[in-house]
Amino acid sequence: MSATDAITSAPSDRDWRLPVVLAIALRELRSGFAGFRIFIACVALGVTVITGVGAVSDALRAGFERQGEAILGGDMTVSRMHVRAEAAERAVLEKLGRVSETATLRTMARRVDGSDQALAELKGVDAPYPLAGKVALAGGGSLQEALQRGAVVDPVLLQRLNLKAGEPIMIGTEPVPVAAALKSEPDALSDRLTYGPRIFISQATLDKSGLVKPGTLIRWRYALKPAGAGQASEDELKALRARVTAELPEAGFTITDRRDPSPQVTRTLERLRQFLTLIGLTALLVGGVGVANAVATFIDKRRKVIATMKSVGATSRTVLGIFLTQVLIVAVIGIVIGLVLGTGLPLVLGALYGDLLPIHAEMTVSPSSLLAAAVYGLAVSLLFTLWPLGRVQRVSASVLFRDEVAPERAWPGAWIIGATLLTAAVLVGFAVLSSDSKRIALYFCGGLVVIFAVFLGLGSAVTALARRAPRPRYPELALAIGNLGAPGGLTRSVVLSLGTGLSLLVAVALANASLVSELKERLPTRSPDYFVLDVTKEDLPAITGLVQRDIPAAALEAAPMLRGRIVRFNDTPIEEINAPPEAQWVLNGDRGLSYAETVPKGSRVVAGAWWPAGYAGEPLVSFETDLAGKLGLKLGDTVTVNVLGRNVTARIANLREVKWESLAINFVMVFSPNTLKDAPSNLLVTISLPDDTPPATEAQTIRALGRDYPSVTAIRVRDILDAFASVFAKVMIAVRAAGSVTLLAGALVLAGALATAQRRRILEAIILKTLGATRRRILVSHALEYLLLAGATALFAVLLGSAAAWLAVTQVMNIGFTFSLSAVATAIALAVALVLTFGGAGTWAVLRAPAVPYLRSE
Amino acid sequence: MSHPIVALQDVQLTLTSRAGPVEILRNVSLRVEPGQSLAVVGPSGSGKTSLLMIVAGLERATSGGVEVAGHDLTRLGEDELALMRGAEIGIVFQSFHLVPTMTALENVALPLEFAGAANAFAIARELLHEVGLKPRVDHFPAQLSGGEQQRVAIARALSRSPKLILADEPTGNLDGKTGRQVIDLLFGMQRRRQATLVLVTHDAQLAAACERTIRMADGRIERAAELVG
Repeated sequence: MSATDAITSAPSDRDWRLPVVLAIALRELRSGFAGFRIFIACVALGVTVITGVGAVSDALRAGFERQGEAILGGDMTVSRMHVRAEAAERAVLEKLGRVSETATLRTMARRVDGSDQALAELKGVDAPYPLAGKVALAGGGSLQEALQRGAVVDPVLLQRLNLKAGEPIMIGTEPVPVAAALKSEPDALSDRLTYGPRIFISQATLDKSGLVKPGTLIRWRYALKPAGAGQASEDELKALRARVTAELPEAGFTITDRRDPSPQVTRTLERLRQFLTLIGLTALLVGGVGVANAVATFIDKRRKVIATMKSVGATSRTVLGIFLTQVLIVAVIGIVIGLVLGTGLPLVLGALYGDLLPIHAEMTVSPSSLLAAAVYGLAVSLLFTLWPLGRVQRVSASVLFRDEVAPERAWPGAWIIGATLLTAAVLVGFAVLSSDSKRIALYFCGGLVVIFAVFLGLGSAVTALARRAPRPRYPELALAIGNLGAPGGLTRSVVLSLGTGLSLLVAVALANASLVSELKERLPTRSPDYFVLDVTKEDLPAITGLVQRDIPAAALEAAPMLRGRIVRFNDTPIEEINAPPEAQWVLNGDRGLSYAETVPKGSRVVAGAWWPAGYAGEPLVSFETDLAGKLGLKLGDTVTVNVLGRNVTARIANLREVKWESLAINFVMVFSPNTLKDAPSNLLVTISLPDDTPPATEAQTIRALGRDYPSVTAIRVRDILDAFASVFAKVMIAVRAAGSVTLLAGALVLAGALATAQRRRILEAIILKTLGATRRRILVSHALEYLLLAGATALFAVLLGSAAAWLAVTQVMNIGFTFSLSAVATAIALAVALVLTFGGAGTWAVLRAPAVPYLRSE
Repeated sequence: MSHPIVALQDVQLTLTSRAGPVEILRNVSLRVEPGQSLAVVGPSGSGKTSLLMIVAGLERATSGGVEVAGHDLTRLGEDELALMRGAEIGIVFQSFHLVPTMTALENVALPLEFAGAANAFAIARELLHEVGLKPRVDHFPAQLSGGEQQRVAIARALSRSPKLILADEPTGNLDGKTGRQVIDLLFGMQRRRQATLVLVTHDAQLAAACERTIRMADGRIERAAELVG
């Protein structure tokens, strides 16, 4: 073996012995974290958002699980539309434990004199209700005792109808005295999305109201509490579920237990959590620019130490290992700070907004939420540090002999590029895999890559342009442009970080504006004005006459509607079907079902054929084509639905394309008439009023409708859309808050970049001063530089943000795009304000700096 | 005749600058025998430091042969050169170049740690005692005088018992008295360890202390000026 072999073979495998690398890295960190403050802040901020989103969602979910019993009003509930449990079914349930029956339906609550009415959510309850939790009345006292005397009514409704306790309220055909005002109800969440205020009545009062008829849209719910003390255990719940399913196989009950009392709410929370996590990831990525800058500056400052290590025998890889370890230690500090702050977020939000939540949020955070935030933090830190760490390899030990200037920009080694790409792939993979909607997560990541690429390019373009631009005569402008093109200047990092944050904010603001305008302006003009529920076939002609007597141009459309639950596709029970998230809602709970002789309005057959008039053969069904595709259904497959407690199986005869956005009457499933004709059902009626209908006439007609037909319920579409818009507005607050954090991350990067450039800027200002420049001249040149920078960034942010919003709105949400000038103006104002504020603070320090120490030290 | 520790054959070093190529070393050939002490003198810009950097493997010759301690440096990669330096060469700089965040002890132990030596700190401590810094082992560079810092640097350069010590103006940043103490120490340690010393200096007195001196001018060794001390 030659001498060379002896040297090169032995130590290479010892290079990465962690303790030495770690020990030296820790020693190196003794110089403190001063240069890493922005790094730590950027990582901590992003991780705080992601942890916070996870922690809030965990807290709500834990609250759900812990309070599941109260939310359900028992350990388990079984529910069904239209049909009350028969004696035999009831007997099965009662064998399992204590049972409480409730019936919920929408109705019009009216003043007895018929002068006013309002949509209400009526709940008829039996004596054992509630099995868990407690209904609180405004004046104290017990619910059951109050129900003996009459109705317990939400104060909002009392105010709306101008009623006081003791006065009667018309429910169906029955005047019922208002016994008490309602304060809170434990199981409100399990009654689905409610459109009106609550009225509690007893079962006896409900029976007398005349509202319970065959075909009425009533949800019958049975809360169960197994005999014995305390809550049922997980195993008992599973056993309970199995017994109900086994003993009542065809009953068509939807079973829910306290472990997940409201699957819908849980799912919505989960989707929101995933979306906000992606926004948190954006904040982290924007902060990544600050991380990269901090690392690049750090490496430049440590050039001599790196060279010294190389001169005493360290390989590039060992030195890289030492500095990578240091950077990772710093990243971990940022991550830990973020995890701690994020975990505390539910406490802060609870203290501020706890009263607004329907449940009490538990203070808890799951290990998976913490792990996800830590993985994101670490991956983003790596993504943005590997590249600048590549400079370690280019530092030669010869700098110890000669004062060489490091090349400003150069490509790092192949394995650094490879590792960076791998980290990016891991990050995207993790983001996509941890989202239910992989498509949206992928779009989001793709959009971010495009936005980053555009702003990287813009930063380089602005720098190059500034370098090549002819020197303006106006000296302040010449100085400003000179600074924009200066090596180590602010341009690249500010354009990238601020631009990305602003683009996201513009996109969110424009998507918001588009949705609000869709809900508040476009939808109401296209859609009918009222949905009228529970119209009997016999009453339809008279109701049409009543409406058209006052408003002759009013158009009424009617379709039979029942509610039923899908139980099987072909031979597969739906519990075994793994549907994509965007189609899952079809399988959850009950759906509106209809039957028709001809193809319903607003839809067209795209595959198969519609049944002939008077068809009397095998039951057939028409399925909405898009959902059929997502659920894996094709022509000839069979669908079994449980309607009115009976299973009905029909074969898919055709697929329809439906224009849902018109809000005309339409259904996912429309059956051939022979399938459902004999089932007792009512009609769903839409009323479209001419645009010039006077509000007074409209109100009078709807009042007359309520008075003459007490069991029908008229729901104003605009009210529903307003209710959606207000829920949506609350969600958007969370989205915007998370989005604003990206701008905060951009501001941190800006502050970091300014701090790095500060010494150079001070020196430049001092040299200019010695050459006779006034403070005003320096101030103006800085202001011009910042304005040019902010202006170019804002312009591109508006363009990209608008493009992203347009894509999201028209391609994902399938609604019209609305451009909002105020959203754009806000973005530009924010960019200018941020740059001027941080830049102004920097300039202030520049102008105040004494000249002598700087001139001496150079 | 023994195998030379340094053998340069027709070494050329041309660097590119904005003004065009600059010839730093021109056809330099040099042999240094084991255990010898050699002073390289000459005016600024004559190529002394470049010669040292070529021998240390920090600069690659444009052409010519470079053999140090039996290794053909022209055939070694960047990392192999680093490992070779760690094992065979100790370098003492004019500006000391101690790592400011590490104590004297840690600075001296650093090359041993890179080599994976288990007893790095014991050896480093011993060396610091040898250079007279027993009470200063846990001090940081900023807490040491210039002379003390250079002693630490010498201890660090010798920590892996190199065959070759390269010193670039080792007294350049020290006052006369301290400089002489440091030189006495450096020569003493070189002799005790029978290492070879190649020293770049402007100091005629220091050069005179070496067994051999070469003078450089304009990138060449002035043969006539080579003296054997």
